[in-house]
Amino acid sequence: MVTLENIGKRYDTGSEVLRDVSLNLEPGSFHFLTGASGAGKSTLLKILYLAEQQSRGVLNLFGTDVAVADRQVLAALRRRIGVVLQDFRLVPHLSVRENVALPLRIAGTPERQIDDNVGELLNWVGLADKMEARPATLSGGEQQRTAVARAIIGSPELLIADEPTGSVDDELAVTLVRLFERMNQLGATVVIATHNIDFVRRFAHARFHIEAGVLSGPLLP
Amino acid sequence: MALWQRLNARRLDLPLAGDGSGRYLPWIIAVMVYLSALGGLGLIVLSDTLSEWGRDLTATLTLQVPASSSAARLETVLGLLRATKAVTAVRLIEPAETARLLEPWLGNTVSIESLPLPRLIDLQVDPDARIDFALLRQRVASVVPGAQLEDHRLWLDRLRNFTVKLESVIAAIVVMIAAATVLTVVFAARTGLAIHHPIVEILHLLGARDQYIAGQFQHRALWLGLRGGAFGALAGAVTVLVLIPAAAGLQLPLRIAPHGIADVRLWLLLVLLPPAAGLVSMLTARLTVLRRLARMP
Repeated sequence: MVTLENIGKRYDTGSEVLRDVSLNLEPGSFHFLTGASGAGKSTLLKILYLAEQQSRGVLNLFGTDVAVADRQVLAALRRRIGVVLQDFRLVPHLSVRENVALPLRIAGTPERQIDDNVGELLNWVGLADKMEARPATLSGGEQQRTAVARAIIGSPELLIADEPTGSVDDELAVTLVRLFERMNQLGATVVIATHNIDFVRRFAHARFHIEAGVLSGPLLP
Repeated sequence: MALWQRLNARRLDLPLAGDGSGRYLPWIIAVMVYLSALGGLGLIVLSDTLSEWGRDLTATLTLQVPASSSAARLETVLGLLRATKAVTAVRLIEPAETARLLEPWLGNTVSIESLPLPRLIDLQVDPDARIDFALLRQRVASVVPGAQLEDHRLWLDRLRNFTVKLESVIAAIVVMIAAATVLTVVFAARTGLAIHHPIVEILHLLGARDQYIAGQFQHRALWLGLRGGAFGALAGAVTVLVLIPAAAGLQLPLRIAPHGIADVRLWLLLVLLPPAAGLVSMLTARLTVLRRLARMP
């Protein structure tokens, strides 16, 4: 499903921040990615969710070699990935409902279906009473749940979270992991990156560890 | 309904209306469209006026007979002209008519009778016939020494050459105006893209195709271009309604803007300019944004 072979990443003329990273994510798997700040976790995730291109190596996503895919194909691949970032990246002038609806609008889903799906999902994540609220008026936990809802509304095959403990307390981060576990049970492949190894130990999932751009694992819980 | 929903949905993604990047765009486009309209209207009026003058003057010659010439010589020369093959009509202009023609320059306080004005003979010639003007001048001079045959074709040719150059300059100005409009829209689109870069990144991350993101900018540019174009065309229409009747009021011997305000082409131009401005703005914004987005992974 997701295969990385000897991935390397270098910014401009600097030294490599990722070195010969190889991994294989089976469909329906659940992994943590741990490592200290600056170890290369976010860079690896950015390559995974196609926000950046690797400098070398092969990334095969859903059976497509992304290095040779055209822009239309890359956009279609991104629509099969759900991402929750540390700062949530909600669109500030849109309501919760509109933020969550974005992936479906982008995919060209009919408006009536968007309304139904968004309403149902916001109810599921406990934001039914915040549908018309703007992100700035939400608490950190509500923003996180909005970001999660936006990530999973399109039923992605690959779910990625970058530092879920970074902007909210551990309890809310646990809620996110529990939501991702439910999506995983429905078939989504999950990767969650965090520097907090103690947090990871609370769950029974394998992890990869990255240090100075070198990946090791998977390490069993 | 579905189309409106799509347009509406597009507008929601990026808050382009409130970012200020296109605030002055309609006014700039309005000025550009107005100047283009003036250029286009100028080309139409100039071309028509010249054609009208050409039609009138290529078929006309004027013979000036010195005031001192006797009536007998005048009659002889009239006979000579009537007998000339390519001349289709000969008319001796009465002194009163000559006086009326000169009135705009001399005023009505000068006694025309006191001036040694030459007698004018208006000749209508077959425009397709080849006339040997040197021979005709020679024959006329043999009857009335000092008579001058004025062929309007010479200065009409010079006027035509000048007009072609003038038309080229106007066309170049219109092209430059269009280029300036394009650059303005490029600047506005780039500014909008820079302001909304974080949201554009989110849309990109969520799998939006470049065309989807560009579509939002082009939708906005189309609306601003149409609005600016409408203002510019309106100003052009006011100019037409003021200037062309004023030109007709000059009552010159040769008419300017012969078709007047009833000329359909003038109004067609004014009607077509706003959609053209909208289309140029839309395509420019689209291409600008697509080129910028191509730099994203």
